[in-house]
Amino acid sequence: MSLFFLTLGFGLVTASVLSLLSVGLSLQFGVTNFVNFAYGSYLSAGMLFTWTFSAKLHFPFVLATVCGVILTAILALIVNEVVFEPFAKRRKSIFYMLIVTFGLSLLLDSILQIFYGVGFDKFPIKQSAAIKIGPFDFTGVQLLIILVAVVSMVVIHLLLTRTSLGKKMRAMSDNPDLAKISGIDTKSVTRATWAISGALAGLGGVVLALNTVYFETTTGDSLLFVIFAAVILGGIGQTYGAMLGALVIGVVTEVSAVWVSSAYKTDVAFLILVIMLLVRPQGIIASQGKA
Amino acid sequence: MDIILGYVTTILVFFFTYNIFTLGLNIQFGYTGILNFTVITFMAIGGYVAAVLAMPKAPAGSGIYYILGLNLPWPIAALGGVLAAGLLGYLIGQIALKRLRSDYLAIVTLATGTLLYGLIGNGTSIFDGWQGLFNVPQPFAGFRTWTPLGYSIFFTIVTAVIFVFLWLFANRIYKSPLGRVMRAVRDDQDVVEAFGKNTFKIRMTAMVLGSMYVGVGGVLTIAYITALSPAGWTTGETFVVWAALLVGGRGNNFGAIVGSFLVAVVFNEATRYLPQIPAHPNLIPDIRYVLIGLAVILSVYFRPQGVFPEKKNTFFEVPLGDNSKTIEEHLAGGLSKVGEQ
Repeated sequence: MSLFFLTLGFGLVTASVLSLLSVGLSLQFGVTNFVNFAYGSYLSAGMLFTWTFSAKLHFPFVLATVCGVILTAILALIVNEVVFEPFAKRRKSIFYMLIVTFGLSLLLDSILQIFYGVGFDKFPIKQSAAIKIGPFDFTGVQLLIILVAVVSMVVIHLLLTRTSLGKKMRAMSDNPDLAKISGIDTKSVTRATWAISGALAGLGGVVLALNTVYFETTTGDSLLFVIFAAVILGGIGQTYGAMLGALVIGVVTEVSAVWVSSAYKTDVAFLILVIMLLVRPQGIIASQGKA
Repeated sequence: MDIILGYVTTILVFFFTYNIFTLGLNIQFGYTGILNFTVITFMAIGGYVAAVLAMPKAPAGSGIYYILGLNLPWPIAALGGVLAAGLLGYLIGQIALKRLRSDYLAIVTLATGTLLYGLIGNGTSIFDGWQGLFNVPQPFAGFRTWTPLGYSIFFTIVTAVIFVFLWLFANRIYKSPLGRVMRAVRDDQDVVEAFGKNTFKIRMTAMVLGSMYVGVGGVLTIAYITALSPAGWTTGETFVVWAALLVGGRGNNFGAIVGSFLVAVVFNEATRYLPQIPAHPNLIPDIRYVLIGLAVILSVYFRPQGVFPEKKNTFFEVPLGDNSKTIEEHLAGGLSKVGEQ
């Protein structure tokens, strides 16, 4: 039983990491309507930028994280301006957009690898002792990850429901053409969405690196399809669905370690993805016309 | 002289196998519009299965483990490899080709690729893990006593013959009613469905056929180099095939050849001779992937149809108001017929 609670605790931490990442991917999908296969590179970029600031430039860790997250958001903005915007202008079909993002992931990964090289890095922070909360054992870092994720989810919720930008994003997600003729500046909303998506990828990357301790340039890509599994589980393009999907995938993959070797964690995520696609491809929270 | 000839034969085998991969992807993406983001996994499965069927049982206590080890003659082993690749294509199709948008299929292919890469790499008992298989028996080895060069030349010819056969077959499919309906599915699936065609079956046919093509390439690869480890089939390799198809021209098999030559041979081989920088051993491969990624993005932007675009179908047209001849006379007078290239 203690093993169950231990893995459940890990599951909550993993779910927190995944929730940041899947919400970032899902928001962007909702607004731009294509899947970004380069998302894994964004989260690698987030953790590596933060590593540069904290390990090389000796910034305090929180400041380094803020700088890393902002840089990742800028990276996402630049990629949108230089790559996606020209393609969107030409109204390229979804086929080509997917191929372009796939190519971009290779491009960005290789560029990161040129600068950061191969091999594992680690943030220069101390591991804290375990803290007992009810039946769970958490380290300070793990509690911090959960806190960051919960705060971020609340902020995203407020953004979507209380601000004019959030309403515009939801409008574009529902029907981009209608949003456009209603006078919404779709271009600037798209830009804002990419910045938010990039920031969430960066932040998710940092907390992922905190959780796994060691990371390398391809860490982001190896998690990419687990994020996809969470997003599809919740219903693609659905922000709250993505949170729910992240919770389910995070908890199930970690708790599965009670029965199967933890080396097969990602395989469990894949299994959930397959079952979901066969049984309910539109996701738990279905959106019309998106499956 | 022998060294140069050996090098040329290796390049040629490489060129023909990449051509076969590109043809397979062309049937999937170029003909039917299926986004397969893990082409190279089918190559690996084809190669691995063919290898374990042909190899004898793993010697006990040698620290080498793999499944099967049936010691079958190579034609049966090769066939098994190709069928295994087709079966994997069928399974992926079952999950993702039914009533789903194309991005789901792309996600499932990518996920399957990542998953199998991890499973085969970590599961040492399947295909010997990260070590990979080696000492795979060479086909035709028992024919006569070969000099290494003689064998290379002979193998190149075999690969070339297989490639030509597959090329002709792919062209035949393109012109057939099946190829026509595949292209119709690519252009507008809903319209084809409205005409009462089973689009799932058509897309599945393309998926399995394309996977088997890639499987053939995989069987040839492992038979030639007699070894294969997971390091040889990363996502980047899939992208080389995509780049070859997109640069050459999707939907056009001639374009696929040109693309394979430009990307897989000229580009890959040329960057191999860039001076190595000892402090950064990965710099050259990284730059290669950056350039391949750029080539794809730029070619999709500026020339999505590729260097050799797909030929448009021409349909006969009777000039308006020209009642001097019947349709039959027009046709006899050299107007092209419906559906001809």
